[in-house]
Amino acid sequence: MRQKIFLAVIGIFLDLAVVVGNGLAANDTLHDSIYNPGHLKPVDSSLNVAVGEPAPDFSLPSVAGREVTLSQYRGKKKVVLSFVPAAWTPVCSDQWPGYNISRKYFEEHNAILLGITVDNIPTLHAWVRQMGSLWFDVLSDFWPHGRVADAYGVLRSDGTAERALFFIDTEGVIRDIVVSDINVRPPLEEVVAKLAAMP
Amino acid sequence: MKYIVLYLVLVVSLFLPFFVPAAEKAAMPMPLPELVLEVPENPRHKEYLGLTGKTGTDFSIRDIDADILVIELFSMYCPYCQKEAPAVNELFAKMREISKNGPVVKIIGLGVANSQFEVDHFRDTYEIAFPLFADEDKTMFRALAGEGTPTFIGCRLKDGERPVIVLRQNGGFASSATFLHELIDKGGPQ
Repeated sequence: MRQKIFLAVIGIFLDLAVVVGNGLAANDTLHDSIYNPGHLKPVDSSLNVAVGEPAPDFSLPSVAGREVTLSQYRGKKKVVLSFVPAAWTPVCSDQWPGYNISRKYFEEHNAILLGITVDNIPTLHAWVRQMGSLWFDVLSDFWPHGRVADAYGVLRSDGTAERALFFIDTEGVIRDIVVSDINVRPPLEEVVAKLAAMP
Repeated sequence: MKYIVLYLVLVVSLFLPFFVPAAEKAAMPMPLPELVLEVPENPRHKEYLGLTGKTGTDFSIRDIDADILVIELFSMYCPYCQKEAPAVNELFAKMREISKNGPVVKIIGLGVANSQFEVDHFRDTYEIAFPLFADEDKTMFRALAGEGTPTFIGCRLKDGERPVIVLRQNGGFASSATFLHELIDKGGPQ
C-alpha cells in the first residue's frame, strides 16, 4: 500500500515538474539564451572594398528559404548590408530588433536591408524566431564559410564577421562603410543619416 | 519511515523554487539612489512630473510629484520592451485613472544605452505619452542595479522618509491591473 502511495506521489511530482518546467520555458527570454564572449578586439580585419567601388556581388540563402542576390536590386533599390558577428551573442541580438522597428527610415530612402552572419540556416532560424518576425531578409554566409564577409574584408580571424554596415546605391556602388567596434552597437541616428546622404 | 523521508524530500524540492523569490522580495524596501535627469522640453511632461525648473536644467528623480513612481528600464533595441510597450501604455492609462481619487502613481522610462534619437524613435513608434529619458552611458541603470530590460522599479516617494524602492519586476508583467494593485499595495502609506 505504502509503495502504491509512494509511486502515486512520484507521478504527481513528475507531472508538476513538467508543468513548472514548461512554465519556465515559456518565460525564457532572449537575454537568457545569449552567450557572452566578453570584451573582444574591436576590429580584427581589413577592408577589401572602398567607398566609390562596385559592391562585390553575391548570392546567399535566406532564413525565409530563398536565394538572395545583391545585383537583383540594381536599378531598383538602395541596399544596406548589415553584417553582425554571430547569432546568440550580445549586441547582435538587439541590433536587428532595433532595425525591425525602423523600417520607415529605410523605406523613406527607397532602401532595403539585408542582414548577414556567418552562421548556418538552422541556427539563424532559431535566433530570428526568438527575436520575433523581422521584415528584412537574414542571409547565411556559412558555406563556403564567410566568403562574402571576406570579399568585403570583414571576416575576423576567428571566423566571425565584424559589426559592419555597407551602404550601396541603386547602381551597386558602395557609398559609405561603417565598421564598428564589435562590442558596440552603431547608433540608429548614424544609420539614418547615412541613408539620407546616399544619392 | 523510509517513505516519509522520501515524501518530505520530494515536497521540499518541489516547492523550493517558490521560496527563493519570496526571500528576495523580503529585501524590499531599499533606498532609492539619487538620480539626476534634465527637465524635459515637452510642457505636458514637465507638468506631469510637477517640475518648475527651466528646460535642460537638472532635477532629482525624488522631486517628481508622485506618491508612487515606476521607473521602467527599457531599450529601443530590446524585442521584449517592444512587445511590452502596449501593456505599459495600458498601465499608464490605469495609473492616471487611479490617481484621480487614490495615491498619485506616475511612470517614467529610462532608455538604457539608448541615444536621445533612439528614445524618441521608441516613443514615436509606440505612441508613449509618459516621459522617457536617455540613459546613454547606463549610469542610472547601474545605480538602480539593473540586470536587463524591461525592468519595472516601483518607488515610494512620499512617506516622510527617504524615498525607497518597494518593488522590482524583471521582465514584463502579466497583467497591468495586477501589477498596479501590487504596486499600490507595497508603495502606498505603510
